[in-house]
Amino acid sequence: MPDGLVLTRHQGAPGLHTLDGYRKVGGYQGLARALEMGPEAIVAEVKASGLRGRGGAAFPTGTKWGFLPQGVFPRYLAVNADESEPGCFKDRVLIEEYPHQLLEGVLIAAFALQASHAFIYIRGEYRQQRELLEQVVREAYRAKLAGKRILGSDFGCEVVVHGGAGAYICGEETALLDSLEGRRGQPRLKPPFPAVKGLYGQPTVVNNVETLSNLPYIVTAGGAAYAALGTEASPGTRLFCVSGHVERPGTFEVPMGRTTFRDLLGLAGGVWRGRRFKAMQPGGGSMQVLGPQHLDVPLDFKAVADAGSSLGAGALVVMDETACMVEVSRRLVDFYRHESCGKCVPCREGTYFESQLMHRLEEGRATAEELATLADICAGMDGRCFCPLGDTATWFVMSAYRMFKDEFDAHVGAGHCPVRARLGAAA
Amino acid sequence: MGEAAARPDLVRVTVDERDVEVAPGSLVWDACERAGVFVPVYCAHKKLEPVAVCRMCLVEVEGMPKLQPACATRVADGMKVRTLTEQVRKFRDSNLEFLLLNHPLDCPVCDRGGECDLQDFTQRFGPGRTRQSIQQKVHFDKAIPLSDKIFLDQERCILCWRCVRYYEEVTGEREIVLQQRGVHTVVDTFERQPLRSQFQGNLPEICPVGALTHAKYRFRARPWDLRRTASVCSHCSYGCNLFVDARDDQIARYASSDNEDVEDSWLCDRGRYSFPEYNTRERVAAPEAVVTGGRQVVSHREALARAGGQLLRIISDEGAEAVAVVGSDLMTNEEAFVLQWLAREVIGTPHLDHRLRPTPHLDPSDFELSIAGIEECDLLLVLGEEPERLSPVLTLRLHKAATKRGRRVVRLEPPYTWTEKAQAQRVGVLASELHRDAGAAIRDQLRGAGHRAELLTVMERVNSRGCQDMGLLPGWLPGYVPAPKVGMGLAEILESCATGRLRALLVVNPTPELEASPEFEAALRGVEAAVVITAHPGAASRGASVLIPGRTIVEKAGTVTNTEGRVQRVRAAIEPSLTIPTDLRTLGELAGALGADLGVAPMATPVFEKLAAAIPAYRGTQARMRARWGRRG
Amino acid sequence: MPESEGDASSAALAPGTLQRLRDLRSRYPVARSAVLPALWVVQDELGYLPPWSEELVAEELGLLPGDVAAVSSFYSMYFQHQAGRHFVQVCQNVSCALRGADDLLAGLREWLQADEEGASPDGAFTLEGTVECLGACGGGPMMQVDRYSYEDLTVDSAREILERVRGSAGGGAGA
Repeated sequence: MPDGLVLTRHQGAPGLHTLDGYRKVGGYQGLARALEMGPEAIVAEVKASGLRGRGGAAFPTGTKWGFLPQGVFPRYLAVNADESEPGCFKDRVLIEEYPHQLLEGVLIAAFALQASHAFIYIRGEYRQQRELLEQVVREAYRAKLAGKRILGSDFGCEVVVHGGAGAYICGEETALLDSLEGRRGQPRLKPPFPAVKGLYGQPTVVNNVETLSNLPYIVTAGGAAYAALGTEASPGTRLFCVSGHVERPGTFEVPMGRTTFRDLLGLAGGVWRGRRFKAMQPGGGSMQVLGPQHLDVPLDFKAVADAGSSLGAGALVVMDETACMVEVSRRLVDFYRHESCGKCVPCREGTYFESQLMHRLEEGRATAEELATLADICAGMDGRCFCPLGDTATWFVMSAYRMFKDEFDAHVGAGHCPVRARLGAAA
Repeated sequence: MGEAAARPDLVRVTVDERDVEVAPGSLVWDACERAGVFVPVYCAHKKLEPVAVCRMCLVEVEGMPKLQPACATRVADGMKVRTLTEQVRKFRDSNLEFLLLNHPLDCPVCDRGGECDLQDFTQRFGPGRTRQSIQQKVHFDKAIPLSDKIFLDQERCILCWRCVRYYEEVTGEREIVLQQRGVHTVVDTFERQPLRSQFQGNLPEICPVGALTHAKYRFRARPWDLRRTASVCSHCSYGCNLFVDARDDQIARYASSDNEDVEDSWLCDRGRYSFPEYNTRERVAAPEAVVTGGRQVVSHREALARAGGQLLRIISDEGAEAVAVVGSDLMTNEEAFVLQWLAREVIGTPHLDHRLRPTPHLDPSDFELSIAGIEECDLLLVLGEEPERLSPVLTLRLHKAATKRGRRVVRLEPPYTWTEKAQAQRVGVLASELHRDAGAAIRDQLRGAGHRAELLTVMERVNSRGCQDMGLLPGWLPGYVPAPKVGMGLAEILESCATGRLRALLVVNPTPELEASPEFEAALRGVEAAVVITAHPGAASRGASVLIPGRTIVEKAGTVTNTEGRVQRVRAAIEPSLTIPTDLRTLGELAGALGADLGVAPMATPVFEKLAAAIPAYRGTQARMRARWGRRG
Repeated sequence: MPESEGDASSAALAPGTLQRLRDLRSRYPVARSAVLPALWVVQDELGYLPPWSEELVAEELGLLPGDVAAVSSFYSMYFQHQAGRHFVQVCQNVSCALRGADDLLAGLREWLQADEEGASPDGAFTLEGTVECLGACGGGPMMQVDRYSYEDLTVDSAREILERVRGSAGGGAGA
């Protein structure tokens, strides 16, 4: 087993997606151990591990669990497998390659929370992965690892795999709950928070796939051992998805805090085709752009925040010198326009307005006044929307505008994309 | 606002440097209102749960990095709210620009023009410039008839969700839902199926823009053309408060008021759309009297003189008890009180009544349960469908009790009995007057078992309760005092007129049901003198020996008493186009023609004082109070 | 809904489908939760969600048809109209775009002679180019055909895959 790895430590072991294969590498020993430890001890280990949510908000998992009101039952665990952040595909890898590890984590969490049901909400596009999970859950039921009296204990938990149907917003935890309740997946007013009034109005914890996949290791090796893999401020390891203009895109598990963006880029074979690095977007489609000056920033929550962006959901989209920042912005803006749930005015109308302007700008038809309008629109959205979707629909474009102002300005009235034109001239 | 001493049960909030105290758990929006600071809202509505989707009400709250929705943020002690900062101003400007992006701006042909929150807020807080030339609007369907009552314009819709929430929370019918997503989101019915609710008319009222409009108000008027009068719906005995909006001598629409104790701001379609009859029904235009050779138009004064003469002659020839007096529950309390006085004291007959159906034994114990009190009952027993059929708005109160207050509502089937052992402390029993006795029996049984049980008897017409209270009955004087001599009820009166036992009839404001009954026609044929005061031509006007034009309920001023005993004012919303004296004045003058004097001016206020002197329960009830009957039983 | 129509509708579904809907309902503490899975079952069978199927799902779950339509129209993977036998989604988000997704989409659109709705004239395919990120950013450009992902594509390799799919046994989109 390679040192320093958690999630992918069994990489390459045969038949990992079957119960037998997973058991051969020690699978479900964490669950057995958890049942012996009891809920409080598990929560203590998770707190000690310093594990923070891997869905993007990076909220400490143990603290989140601690918000459940005492003595209120039934409680539910909702597993956020609605991975849809542009640039993120780590949960997909964890589901495809380590589905039992996820399920074991789900069951450990359900036991720690004393949840009667665990719902794995998986995005509709992951149809094959949903069916794989369904099969894995069936196997677990047959082996008395799920359902009533798990491993002969008094604890029982029903595990339900629930498929979404195409809505990015369902990755937001309260929208996920509404969707799971059979409604339009639109975010709820907070408070009350899900821990107090979540699914069906009952205490509910929503955890990400990667977050939960860490649990078998944490209960087996101990929280302290997990934390020690990273740094004090950014404990543990994390899966990063590197894509875009690199030689070998893929997911890489690296220790937090000790690794830099440059290291990550190296793991992915560097910028492809011998081209020059221009920019990168960490965290997923929502996050702000970073430039060459940020390559040596460590993968540490605070360091990345200081650089003006976020680790978000663990993505890294790399752009070489041929990438047009206006075009990339336009694509992300279009994505948010398409995925806006329509609940609140600034997001619903703002993304639409933004998208129209970005198309004009990309085609070189926008005026300088319109470019100024774009900044106005974003100001009217950021921090004003009902949920983070509308806010974040402005982050990349505004950060790119600040960092690559010349490039944006060059599009004004150009009649075409100047970046593309320059490439054409060079070729 | 006075400088109230700090109350420990309240929290102190500062809004734009103004200190106010509000109840814990209040919304910032409430605190702003208390401070007299206007905060624009679209999605927020006092009767609906907050959703904070329109964002129009975002304000600064000290210590919070982002602007907060006033409509959904709860107050905390010491909170400092600012609504006039540059940040808030800029955001409002921006949000209004967003709202107008895909709005059709068809104000000139929109019924909402002049009373539209989108227009108003744009004027007051909006950008004052347009940058829309650079964008294409998303187009949706317009002028969709959702029913014969309601039109939907999806382009004007700003997606505040009020209609959807209204259908979810208030009626539970969920006929309008959100469909599609993002900028393509619309409100619509499933596959455009027509609305079937009996409460559709509330939709245009809660819609802040012109997306949902009344079919009956379509292209009828602008708000500045209308004269608004606060009054009471005349359609049933529930006594819903409303505004009558009239254009010239025509009623253009009824609009909701908000009396939490009664209609809670919701009207039923039967009541709301009942007004056209007042615009279109044919009127009795001029006084007429039978003179030698047939009936002819006479002056008002001559009609009164002839009426007095005819009645006096019969009283002197045949005795006062040869005369019967028939009123109706379309009369105000003041008119009913004067009419019973006229019968008993002036004419001297015990034969007076106001309704065809024999009145069950009714007294104040029939309406101890108030409408608002329904929500406080742990258990509600509804005898059949009659109560809600008579007063549809009751359905919404019961729904609110069940869904928002978690009360148990049981609809009983005939025979109306209750055998279950109830856990409830407080029980409400609701019966129509038809099943009043069964309701009272259940109430008494529950009381016997130690519950706090109360009955609400739902009556039929706008002033059915008031006419009972006023003693417009053969056996009861005003205030449920037993009459020394019990006269004939209406059925017997009609029969006695037809057979000649009764010789004269005074009829005031006959109901359509009475007019339609063959017994009434026969009675009019049988008597020597029939003095009729009525607004509309019909059996009564045809059979009258003296006919005096009357007023409709929307042309009257006075009070009516709703089914729970609440005394409410009706006001003349339109003046009849012909000069028709008030019915109250006509009754006073008729008393004069019979040689008596009412003692006070024949106007609502002095007559009310007179009746309140006679009925202690009515003292001090003019401010929409329930009459204070002593508790019996 | 009119009863006669309801009878005709359920008759249009395979014999076991109603039972599958009822089984789904029992998986959840609250029946309404079964709306999305139930719609999937129906769409897998019919290829889209005609209004009568929404009425049917509503009835099975104790809801109103409007409740179901509100939900089905919100999610982009439910079809309101009959789509091609195979649903082809080409991811256009940033990671794929950086590696040539535009060319892939344009090439496939031309080859399939897809109309504005993305339908190919032979009814075999519906091509969709505005999808959420399909979570295969490491293998862009990529496409998803029904439930299967194909990564690191060129127009030629994608055409070959679609030719194979066209020849394979049909089935509803997403099936």
